[in-house]
Amino acid sequence: MASVQIADVRKAYGSTQVIHGVDIDIDDGEFVILVGPSGCGKSTLLRMIAGLENISGGEIRIGPKVVNDVPPKERDIAMVFQNYALYPHMTVADNMAFSMKLRKAPKAEIEERVTRAAQILGLANLLERYPRQLSGGQRQRVAMGRAIVRDPQVFLFDEPLSNLDAKLRVQMRTEIKELHQRLKTTTVYVTHDQIEAMTMADKIVVMHDGIVEQMGAPLDLYDNPNNLFVAGFIGSPAMNMLKGKITAAGFEAVNPKGGASLVWPIGKAPAGSEGREAVYGVRPEHVRLDPNGIKAEVVVIEPTGSETQVVVRCGGQELTCVFRERITAQPGESIGISPDTSVTHLFDAASGKRL
Amino acid sequence: MSERKAATARRRLFAATRYHAIGLFVSLLFVAPIAWSALVSFKPSAEAARPPLPPWPVEGFSIQSYENLAKYGVGIWTYAGNSLTVAAATVVVTVIISLLAGYGFSRFKFPLKNVMFVLIISTVMIPFQSILTPLFLILTKLGLQNTLPGIVLIYVTLHLPFSIFMMRNAFDAVPKDIEDAARVDGASVFLMLRRVMLPLVLPGVATVAIFAFLASWNEFLAALILLTDQKKYTLPVMMAAVRSGQFGTIDWGAVQSGVMLMMAPCLALFLLLQRYYIRGLTAGAVK
Repeated sequence: MASVQIADVRKAYGSTQVIHGVDIDIDDGEFVILVGPSGCGKSTLLRMIAGLENISGGEIRIGPKVVNDVPPKERDIAMVFQNYALYPHMTVADNMAFSMKLRKAPKAEIEERVTRAAQILGLANLLERYPRQLSGGQRQRVAMGRAIVRDPQVFLFDEPLSNLDAKLRVQMRTEIKELHQRLKTTTVYVTHDQIEAMTMADKIVVMHDGIVEQMGAPLDLYDNPNNLFVAGFIGSPAMNMLKGKITAAGFEAVNPKGGASLVWPIGKAPAGSEGREAVYGVRPEHVRLDPNGIKAEVVVIEPTGSETQVVVRCGGQELTCVFRERITAQPGESIGISPDTSVTHLFDAASGKRL
Repeated sequence: MSERKAATARRRLFAATRYHAIGLFVSLLFVAPIAWSALVSFKPSAEAARPPLPPWPVEGFSIQSYENLAKYGVGIWTYAGNSLTVAAATVVVTVIISLLAGYGFSRFKFPLKNVMFVLIISTVMIPFQSILTPLFLILTKLGLQNTLPGIVLIYVTLHLPFSIFMMRNAFDAVPKDIEDAARVDGASVFLMLRRVMLPLVLPGVATVAIFAFLASWNEFLAALILLTDQKKYTLPVMMAAVRSGQFGTIDWGAVQSGVMLMMAPCLALFLLLQRYYIRGLTAGAVK
């Protein structure tokens, strides 16, 4: 096990720069998730850690060693790929043993480690099968088995769950987290799914257009997003964002339909921000039903059983709300809502930064 | 109700009969010439020279034709050995070069890659007969004229464009992640090629090998022109000599036994590798 340090790492293909100086410190045993929309550079960064892509600038250290020019096979890392990348011509056991055979490990040791990994992952009775005879979830487990057998310094996961169906994805998510708690191996995990990131990570790194937007513990990112991008990316359903101006009375939202503008309550506006153009953010789950609150027209009701997701229209804008209560109102009817002012957010309209 | 069932059964029986009858007829058409050659090759020489009806031996089964063929020139085994050496060497050299070239074209980025690839493929459009004279002169300059290595070089050159094309496609069909996985697992480039990539492109290799073998085993014109020493003849050239006969008499039995001899390895190879061969040709078609 080892720490990983990424210092001012850059990547360019010809004259196109795709990663613009990224700094990330990953502690020994930490589970770090790189998350961001497609094309943000997260997979490229992971492949640079693995040594599958050259580093155009900056430095990557695994443990104390700078690995910029170290080939992948000498980095002591294991990687799980999105499409599993199992060797189709080898059995499950051979797939898992391949790396150790290459290192000429003693036969008994290989067998012992493969058996142990197979037990951990529930693959014990599939060892003689070929990848084509396995289901998606089983293949995913073999890919993980191949990584575990190595007992590497660092695990790298490249969107490992995106080819699985929704139910299996949730199950594997738990299994991977459990595995990490058991093995305590430093893990870097790439995904575009913010729920995966929230549920599994010790630390989330949100990337966008080749830079790190914010880095921190999942709940920290959820509670205190640094900017509009992170605010919109973390959390599901996404945060409601209203454009407008900070006034003495609260936040005066622009009415795009040209009608009267609504004033939203603010918990505590930063000093001297009055009159400033800003974006008001409130998460759907932080809007409460309140008969004395802002009058809003119900547009769509989506009950999920445990909660009810409601799209409402007020002040010419649509807002998504999630209520714990069941709603009796019908679309077209009016309900009263009010945001929980202790958890509303304000961002600068121009820079998108948190105020 | 039961009447309708019976009618359905009758219709099915008729359809099955028709299906198998047509199949049998077509396969008969394909087998007939081979069977005919085989039967004639087992007639005594004198009978083989007469009009071939009925096609089967009537004066008794005989291997005289094979004995005559074996005694031809410096002996059939020399010629068969020459042919086998040339074909095997062509296969080995073609497979090695096209494997490496195909991998390079599939995976590496280098300047003028596509131009070079098209250039290699486009040589297929040049009729081989038209460059026979320059080839002959080049081989003479290199001191390889009238040698088996010389003819192997010619055959390899002729088969490379198709083989490289084939192998590039085969490598293109292997996901790049598998290669990355092998690199992360600790394999060097050559180890990865041998232990991971080679088994995955084996159908392509089988196709290339079969093509190279069949083409060089059956090739006649280049061998006829470039090999002047009778001891170095390959089987097709020898067969032409047998066929042209001595003093106007042609030993048809010997010719047919020669045909059987030449056909045997081709059939065996094809039957042995046809599973890979068909997979190789259709690889990447459905993915």
